[in-house]
Amino acid sequence: MAWNVIFFYLLAAVSVLAAIGMVAAKNPVHSAIFLVLTLFNTAGIFVMLGAEFLAAAQVIVYAGAVLVLMLFFLMLVDPERLPERGGGHPVQRIVGPLLGVILFLEVAAAIANRAMFGSLGNATPENIAFVGGSTQAVGNLLFTQFLLPFEVVSLVLLIGVVGAIVLALPERLGERLGTISLGHPRGTDMALPEGPSTAAPITRADEKATAALESTREIILVRDPDLYTGVGSRKSDVGRE
Amino acid sequence: MDQPIWLTFLVAFIFMNVLLVGMAYMTWYERKVLAAMQDRVGPNRTGPKGLLQPIADGIKLLGKEDLIPAHADKVVFYFAPLVVFVVAITRVAVIPFGNTITVFGHPVNLWVTDLNVGALFLLAFGSLGVYGIILGGYASANRYSLLGGLRSAAQVVSYEIILGLSLVGIFLLSSSLSIRTIMEQQMRDLTFALGPLTLTLPNWFILSQPLAFVIFFLAAVAETNRAPFDLPEAETELVSGFHTEYSAFRFSFYFLGEYINMIVVSLFAAVMFLGGIDGPGADRFWGMGILWLLLKVVLFLFFYIWLRGTLPRFRYDQLMGIAWKVLLPLVLVNILITALIRLIGNGQLSF
Repeated sequence: MAWNVIFFYLLAAVSVLAAIGMVAAKNPVHSAIFLVLTLFNTAGIFVMLGAEFLAAAQVIVYAGAVLVLMLFFLMLVDPERLPERGGGHPVQRIVGPLLGVILFLEVAAAIANRAMFGSLGNATPENIAFVGGSTQAVGNLLFTQFLLPFEVVSLVLLIGVVGAIVLALPERLGERLGTISLGHPRGTDMALPEGPSTAAPITRADEKATAALESTREIILVRDPDLYTGVGSRKSDVGRE
Repeated sequence: MDQPIWLTFLVAFIFMNVLLVGMAYMTWYERKVLAAMQDRVGPNRTGPKGLLQPIADGIKLLGKEDLIPAHADKVVFYFAPLVVFVVAITRVAVIPFGNTITVFGHPVNLWVTDLNVGALFLLAFGSLGVYGIILGGYASANRYSLLGGLRSAAQVVSYEIILGLSLVGIFLLSSSLSIRTIMEQQMRDLTFALGPLTLTLPNWFILSQPLAFVIFFLAAVAETNRAPFDLPEAETELVSGFHTEYSAFRFSFYFLGEYINMIVVSLFAAVMFLGGIDGPGADRFWGMGILWLLLKVVLFLFFYIWLRGTLPRFRYDQLMGIAWKVLLPLVLVNILITALIRLIGNGQLSF
């Protein structure tokens, strides 16, 4: 048995098992961990195909950044509040798995048949070695033939970043409930005026939203937490609408 | 690879053991240097000059009670520190400690592997190290750990981007991602000519990319969660961040994983910016090359400890502000300037 056959089957087996685990896991964080495993093993398969740059990019971008960000919000999900398994519309519960099984049978038939051929592209190992490696080949293509999609993708990412910043602007801190504080608001270089009059008023919407939280502690929505050193009642210093 | 597999494994085994011993004695080095900076002595009771202190620490940590919080996610709790430790050690596989030497008539490569995307391999495994932190914080079933883990992960991810981008200047100048190629190119000459006066220096990339070097080092300090960027794991903040609930040897995995990361990043910086094994006498005897490399690594480690002993730590939003508002624009400017100079040098830029 050649080594690369063994490696391939090992990587493929772990990929498939991790993918199954990702779908079957009850806890969303476990799903994310299984997805990391799948992506890592797929990157291994990419290396075996001779696409080392793609493998490294997959690990750096997908496993190392995108999944970390997904874990950020998945960790803040309360496992008891997830929809229960087996719930949902009866039609969905039947048609979904049925379509999955049909797809699986199609792919299995295609693999077993082996009569499907594509045409050999021009990225043969000799061509790639001629250019100097897979990194150079990808770079050449990306900056000549696929330049427009490259720029469009960077624009899309820019829109995402701008959107994230707009959604998290500090002025709206008072309207956010249950924000995880990742830094003191006074640390930002916005100059907010001092005084209790700048406290964010608790609106009826806030009350409705916090009523469901079943907490017996005071929830004080303020802009400058340092002004509220005593845990007094909500009615002091805070305007109401 | 022309070399038999067992020889590569032997070399890898030797490197790994040297790294582990180095990591253990890095703790001793840090305590002694920090003590000297703080005008005290440091460990000096266990063995001569306290040299047996790391062994004593190891025995102590092995003997402590191993607590797992009641509601912790046991499997993830178990694996999270291991991820940090294993990923950090794997990074040494692409760092060259020399060229090919002859031992008993057989050629032996003084490196484990020479990937042609070696630098990306180091960055990729650095990205994977974040999972140890973030999952450790999650698995502890403790909201302070969770917040500490999230904070730390956000910090590491931000500074990882800057770490990678600071190396792009080097990739532009060397046209290669392979670490051995980059190291070999630094052994050539860099000639500064001003009229009749010429100065020939080795082509170390610290001379061609000074800004990138400074940014790389700052990003490396933040990436390894070291002072002054160690707010997520400082004792006065969030109890102890993501490793609050870890005791005994599990904690030591995090602790030692951090030291291994420091050593690996210092090796990375020494190889990419300071020429690695380059130094007088390195071409004649292979031991001199390793000596020069170790000297440069010790220099960087001293710098790490110096920063810890001198600067107060940054507040979290200052830390993130530095990454995104200061270092990121600077590193992009560095790439721009390097690319322009490269094009002008190639004669490909015409106005």
